[in-house]
Amino acid sequence: MQRYVLRRILQMIPIALGISVLLFTLLTLAPGDPVDLLIASDPRVKPEDVARLKRLYGLDQPIHVRYLKWLGRTLQGDLGFSRTYKEPVTNLLRDRIANSLWLTVTAFVLAVVVAVPVGIYSALHQYSVLDYLATTFTFFGVSIPVFWFGIMAIYLFAVWHPWTALPGLGWLVLPPGGISTPGVPPGLPFVLDRLRYMILPSVVLALLSMATYTRYTRSSMLEVIRQDYVRTARAKGLAERVVINRHALRNALIPLVTIMALSIANLFAGAPITETVFAWPGVGRLLVESVLNGDYVAAQAVLMFLAVLVLVFNLLADVAYAALDPRIRYD
Amino acid sequence: MARPAVTLAPAAAAAEAARPGEGYWQIAWRRLRRHRLAMGGLAVIALLVLAAVFAPWIAPYRFEQIDLTNRFAPPFSGRHWLGTDDLGHDVFTRLLYAGRVSLVVGFAAALSAVALGTLVGVVAGYYGGLLDNVLMRLTDIVLTLPVFGVLLLLGRYFGGGILPIVAIIGLFGWTVAARLVRGEILRLKTQDFAEAARALGASETRIIFRHLLPNALAPIIVAATLDVGGAILTEAALSYFGVGIQPPIPSWGNMLQNAQSYLWTAPWLAFWPGMMIFLTVLCFNFFGDGLRDALDPRLKI
Repeated sequence: MQRYVLRRILQMIPIALGISVLLFTLLTLAPGDPVDLLIASDPRVKPEDVARLKRLYGLDQPIHVRYLKWLGRTLQGDLGFSRTYKEPVTNLLRDRIANSLWLTVTAFVLAVVVAVPVGIYSALHQYSVLDYLATTFTFFGVSIPVFWFGIMAIYLFAVWHPWTALPGLGWLVLPPGGISTPGVPPGLPFVLDRLRYMILPSVVLALLSMATYTRYTRSSMLEVIRQDYVRTARAKGLAERVVINRHALRNALIPLVTIMALSIANLFAGAPITETVFAWPGVGRLLVESVLNGDYVAAQAVLMFLAVLVLVFNLLADVAYAALDPRIRYD
Repeated sequence: MARPAVTLAPAAAAAEAARPGEGYWQIAWRRLRRHRLAMGGLAVIALLVLAAVFAPWIAPYRFEQIDLTNRFAPPFSGRHWLGTDDLGHDVFTRLLYAGRVSLVVGFAAALSAVALGTLVGVVAGYYGGLLDNVLMRLTDIVLTLPVFGVLLLLGRYFGGGILPIVAIIGLFGWTVAARLVRGEILRLKTQDFAEAARALGASETRIIFRHLLPNALAPIIVAATLDVGGAILTEAALSYFGVGIQPPIPSWGNMLQNAQSYLWTAPWLAFWPGMMIFLTVLCFNFFGDGLRDALDPRLKI
């Protein structure tokens, strides 16, 4: 097992390097380096200033030299300085990851808590009304444009909400965006306030994963309950509850764990749209802002962070798969 | 009483089996026709395509026509039955023309992604060895990239028109098709008919195009259909962020670009374009799902 994990980690290194080369090239060849932008905004900048600035930022060197320098600094934990946020990218990224975690974790839990029971029920009662409803829901979930779903949610909960006048629903008037109300005292009031801000974005972010997990749970369960060992368990005279919980479900969940591990990274990477619609200052929004504002130092760091996250969760998925399924051998 | 039920099942099974003289595609079409959601999806897609083609004849206004005295007219009032936007464009007219753009981008991007993926998959699967290794590592890299961020970056520099958007979506969307096709080619190339063709002295291109690819067509078609929906969603998201199709050319995505800020005063601006994207993508997914069941239910796409 240890050797398998070690080998997988070693295999990750060339892929991570390949990604970093690709991203660095894309961002470097993109027109408009910081100095070009400065020239465009200030007509007093002279050619000798340009040359001096390019030398200062290292922009006069060939691309492979710049890449190696970037790689060296990054490996030492120095992600550079963000031009638009006037802050070291390391600090920026740290704060944004903390904010994103609130959303990502909530959305993930929400997705699992809804999808797994619904998927199991769907499989056990194939072609029932609820199965049709669940299947239709999965189609809706993968087809709806996330930003539109977010905007519609804002409309119904923050803009036009006569339905909240019904008794007991008053608390469902929610903020249209942001992360917390300024001036809320720390402690319980802060947490409750944060929760109110989180409801809409986490539901919107969870929808796609919820649909995907439901689909996989259903098909994985359907596959398992046709297996011989499930028939054997039934033939032994075990209670249906035991057959389902101990024999079917445990095997059906193995591929699901893989799908989920893979998708946690995608939840992070898929958050740019949700975070932008709800003005949530997370990693996703940082990605959108830094790319659209041409802040390539920050953009490179965020893109690389997301890619490494995907690699790490890929590894976790494989390890979990191998650990959970004794039939899988790692040599 | 039990007897008819017993005899019914084999009868139904016989109807499912191939009739004499019926080819693969005829069987698939017969199965597809029975799939209600898929046929419903196909019907709506056909309607949307017709509406897009005949937009100039259906639309009551020109899409770039501005009516500054009639800005933010609500739906179902006066002469604009879906309302007008911040510049006084007729929303219904723009939806029709935007449908042209979104559908063309969807079809063209999906087609180029699948074509590129097929090419990579065939080369990797057929020739194997070092080439396969290099291509598959490249696939791993593209699959690991935060694609949305990269598309935003490329959209910022090359976006605006239809062609660049199609190109960048295709350029980063080929990985799924590549893996599928590679797997199919690996499976097919060792089968007897491929061996026979080789023994008879068929050229490589003949084996690939005449013997292998036609047999790998089912997953390619299904992947392409599902990709259309995905490409429409990607285009819409890029245009929503202002780096996809640029106004004055309308696309369903860029119609939503400013809609959020008018949510308090003109919510219909946000409702219609999103509804069109949702409906279109939903129909492509329904159709793709039915197509998979009809062509090869064991496919995992």
